[in-house]
Amino acid sequence: MNTVPRATPLAWVNGSDAPEKPSLNIGYMALTDCASVVVAATQGFAQQHGLTLNLKRQGSWAGLRDKLVSGELDAAHCLYGLVYAVHLGIGGVPASEMAVLMGLNQNAQAINLSPALQRKGVTNPEALARLAHQHGARLTFAQTFPTGTHAMWLYYWLASQGIHPLRDVDSVVVPPAQMAAHIQAGRIDGFCVGEPWAADAVATGQGFTLATSQSIWPDHPEKVLACARAFAEQYPNSARALIKAVLAASRFIEQSPENRRSTAQLLSGSAYLATPLASIEPRLLGSYHDGLGNHWQDPHALRLHDHGRANLPYLSDGMWFMTQFRRWGLLRDDPDYLGVARQVQQLALYGEAAQSLGVACPEPMRSSLLIDGSRWDGSDPYGYARSFSLHAMGDLPDARVGA
Amino acid sequence: MLRILLIDDTQSKLGRLKAALSEAGFEVIEAPGLTIDLPACVETVRPDVVLIDTDSPDRDVMEQVVLVSRDQPRPIVLFTDEHDPAVMRQAIQSGVSAYIVEGIHAARLQPILDVAMARFESDQALKAQLLARDQQLAERKRIEQAKGLLMKMKDCNEEQAYTLMRRQAMSRQQKLIQVAEQIIAMHEMLG
Repeated sequence: MNTVPRATPLAWVNGSDAPEKPSLNIGYMALTDCASVVVAATQGFAQQHGLTLNLKRQGSWAGLRDKLVSGELDAAHCLYGLVYAVHLGIGGVPASEMAVLMGLNQNAQAINLSPALQRKGVTNPEALARLAHQHGARLTFAQTFPTGTHAMWLYYWLASQGIHPLRDVDSVVVPPAQMAAHIQAGRIDGFCVGEPWAADAVATGQGFTLATSQSIWPDHPEKVLACARAFAEQYPNSARALIKAVLAASRFIEQSPENRRSTAQLLSGSAYLATPLASIEPRLLGSYHDGLGNHWQDPHALRLHDHGRANLPYLSDGMWFMTQFRRWGLLRDDPDYLGVARQVQQLALYGEAAQSLGVACPEPMRSSLLIDGSRWDGSDPYGYARSFSLHAMGDLPDARVGA
Repeated sequence: MLRILLIDDTQSKLGRLKAALSEAGFEVIEAPGLTIDLPACVETVRPDVVLIDTDSPDRDVMEQVVLVSRDQPRPIVLFTDEHDPAVMRQAIQSGVSAYIVEGIHAARLQPILDVAMARFESDQALKAQLLARDQQLAERKRIEQAKGLLMKMKDCNEEQAYTLMRRQAMSRQQKLIQVAEQIIAMHEMLG
């Protein structure tokens, strides 16, 4: 199936393709995976496409969402799940049509546990599952947004270990940069977060990394460049130019290890992540220390470009988040999975931008094998949402509590 | 409630607008004629709209309007008895959002102010866009110039020059334009 329309030379014959709006406010959270956006804005990639990108660092995902919906931000570095939750009206704000312009990255999130659990010898999934099922031991995990990617990775991983994420443990929302402080204060037992915050917690002695997100789903979708659908419709040239600038920046970062290292240096600056280089650079380059003495070069570390494979707004990626919302009861009914994904994923705009830069466009459905042995290829979202033994779909007669 | 700075610059000082505005439910702050420093007054009062009532907008009035538009941009509505189209054109050019000749009725004030504010907003957006385009163009030229200098100095191609500049900028947590300026400045000093 190929749904990416081919851009023809006549595509813009009606006028100039110069951005209708030349100066854009771009929101981002202080995370390693905002790299392409920051590099695009500061390293001359946006000017080449007639844009000025004004970077606006945000303190929380909820704040970023509110500004994206109100139009205060034109576009933003955004959690995949957040975009779909806003579009479907799950959560704190009424449904508001959203658009995914491109993928920003795959991989590079992690689940960490506290030093207290480490001292108790809870350093592997089996020990954690035993503890979680013990009477009286109520563990609290933090993620970064109720419908965000970290909540979904945390839930998926816990469930794959036989721990029901909604019944066996508590979860709370904490902004990414504050995870280590909450661990230190003993308010949470573990968390799922984007880098550099998991690496930074390990570096500062605030626990260890129990699982990487790429161990749950190698090359999983993560952050996207998102905007309100109205923005993409009103300013299609600005949206296309923005995709080009960020796509070119992502390609540049992955062109050489030197470029990756310079990117880590840029990100560590006080204007961006304000975090020591030592917490950012190793995992950005794939070098992992888990805090338990294990060290490895991760074959599925942060991917910002991967010859465009990390950037296409795959329909199957968008649909996956809806299947998980359904699985965990965040959606009471099944949405039109494919129909909604086609509305949100801006394959046409992305295809035009990618073609003009000579970046290849893969098929919009991809097939992946996840940690629990289930395969997701987007072909049967209804069945997939119902294929899990642990879930919170109230309408199923065989709904099991716990494992 | 809309906050209005009302400048009465008429000979008669009858305050013909004050009553109509208060009646229409606006918060009105009055200031004497345009002998005052209007930009400073706008800075202190922070009105949503500046309303000038004048018999005839002369050079002094225009001067003050230009200053406000530059430093403290606000929608400015001018009420006057002056019919001369040339004066009207000059007033609009100076930054007046609405030019109203005679006929002040309380009922008409709201739509007049609405139009003035809408017009002001779209003008501001347009100005910001033009400024952004100018800046982009200027930065692009400087970056191109620095890239050209670097290609000569390092005997490298365009892409290599860009990469060198970007790596330098990123490792110093700077923007590309800053490194471009440094290269140009260094070249000027040594050249």
